[in-house]
Amino acid sequence: MSGFLAVIARDVRLAFRAGGGALQAAAFFALTIVLFALAVGPDLTLMSEIAAPVLWTAALLATLISLEQIYRPDREDGSLDVLAETNGLLALTALAKAIAHWISTGLLLTAATPVLALLLNIEGDALWPLLLSLLIGAPGLSLIGSFAAALTAALPRAGLLIAIIVSPLYAPILIFGAGAASAGAAGDPQYSANLALLGASSLFAAIFSPLASAAALRFNLD
Amino acid sequence: MATTTLYEFANPVRFERIAARVFPVALAAAGLLGAVGLYFALFNSPADYQQGDTVRIMYVHVPAAWMAMFCYSAMAVSSTAGFIWKHPLADVAAKETAPIGAAFTFLALFTGSLWGKPMWGAWWAWDARLTSVLILFFLYLGYMALWRAVPDKTRAAKLAAILAIVGFVNIPIIKFSVDWWNSLHQPASVLRAGGPSIHPDMLTPLFLMIGAYVFAYVALLLASMRNELTARRLARMENAGVHAPASVVER
Amino acid sequence: MSPKKQQRLILFGGIFLAAAAAVALTLFALRGSITYFYTPSELAALGETPSSPIRLGGLVADGSVAYAKAETGDVVSFTIEDGGSDVRVHFAGLLPDLFREGQGVVVQGRMTGARVMTADNVLAKHDENYMPKEVADALKEQGVWKEDETGS
Repeated sequence: MSGFLAVIARDVRLAFRAGGGALQAAAFFALTIVLFALAVGPDLTLMSEIAAPVLWTAALLATLISLEQIYRPDREDGSLDVLAETNGLLALTALAKAIAHWISTGLLLTAATPVLALLLNIEGDALWPLLLSLLIGAPGLSLIGSFAAALTAALPRAGLLIAIIVSPLYAPILIFGAGAASAGAAGDPQYSANLALLGASSLFAAIFSPLASAAALRFNLD
Repeated sequence: MATTTLYEFANPVRFERIAARVFPVALAAAGLLGAVGLYFALFNSPADYQQGDTVRIMYVHVPAAWMAMFCYSAMAVSSTAGFIWKHPLADVAAKETAPIGAAFTFLALFTGSLWGKPMWGAWWAWDARLTSVLILFFLYLGYMALWRAVPDKTRAAKLAAILAIVGFVNIPIIKFSVDWWNSLHQPASVLRAGGPSIHPDMLTPLFLMIGAYVFAYVALLLASMRNELTARRLARMENAGVHAPASVVER
Repeated sequence: MSPKKQQRLILFGGIFLAAAAAVALTLFALRGSITYFYTPSELAALGETPSSPIRLGGLVADGSVAYAKAETGDVVSFTIEDGGSDVRVHFAGLLPDLFREGQGVVVQGRMTGARVMTADNVLAKHDENYMPKEVADALKEQGVWKEDETGS
């Protein structure tokens, strides 16, 4: 258990250090939203209608650009070999790395959301469904994304490949996440069903991602 | 090279012999069934009571949609086989199934769009069935991209196999999307409890076309597997210092 | 117990719990049914009229289709019903081939009042039955025709 927590602590520290991906992802998240708001223009009603999908898409893209950092640096400097040899089950290490990625990107993006939501004209009650959906869905993004990162750990320039592999797998989380946020803001009764399916998607990702990542890492180690 | 030795355990010679014999048969069967099926579909089957002649798109669309799912399932099964028994032919079969499956998926989406415009009134709708099939198309693309990106073929086979198996979760979602959600797409007509809800006169061309598509898949798969095996043998020979005639390399 | 064995136990216990929770959530969600569209009864059950664009599905009521000439173009109006409630729809645009009375349709647009809607888009839904016209007529004559299409 201590090895598990140590991996999380180490990865989170690395992500927030200079050159780590965490703050870059958060900045990218904010910029995407600002660019989108500029493109839409001054129509505030339209803005608040499309705000939840825009915010969710921005969160997904910001998660996506930071995925490459999960395994490739560790594989290059050999620390992944050490982790695989000494830190017990590889699947649990993979889970720890996905959790660390969620803390350093997903949780950070969720924390930044209340401020950025103001730019998209989301206020008051509409904010809570958005935050709740991000809290439930963002771990799923990190879990599925870390699997794609594990698949491509041995490739030098995998950014675009990760995006191609992971986008179709992200579809359920995006659909139910943005769906829950929109439905919650509109007082739609499909809110709870969307949240439940979002939770089921994240749980399902939590089941397959560590196992599949471990299998992929084993072929990417040597 | 460690990668090439593994492939020498397979018996491509026997595969070559069988494939050379099956390929022309499958090709002929696809052509024959396709010709007869199209004749029935276009000239010798009744128009629908609601859709009129537009229903004939079904004979191209439904088999393509079935093959889109069948090819992914075949890919996942042979990926699993390649993963567990480490048989390189299974890996090659999975790899070469992907572009064929992607083509069938594209055909299903394209013909569905042509059918949707006159019947539903829209080229495209974001309902569960259409969306999940579009995702299937991108899963094929991701799988193919992974194969291309990893230079070491043995490793590429393993990694792509894991991706194919993970992506298989989409297949039941496609199948049951029309039952789970209120969707624009109609529910299953052939494989359903209580028997097909398609009139027998329309089932004949449908099944003929499905047969044609299956044989077309078999023929295409065998042809591209032989190509792949030849290309690998060529690469191996070049690694060993044997150079093929320039005309072959140019290919 | 060796640490690896213990970890394996935790891993499989965790997988089992997560799978059970995922299945429970999915079953809960499917009972609430995520829909591509509302039916008029579901809309009535909402109480208030939604202000954002919605999709509404149901059958075109018999004898409800009316055409009107307007300066901006021809407008067609029809009633969508599902046995429980109904909504009057106004639409300026091209109707799909399958649009007819008694047919299932999905319309997209905004509610402009209680049970009144202006549609931007009308989509026809068709069922899973395929048969020649003669067979359909014969079935109707024999009275075995099942009018069970409520767009569900």
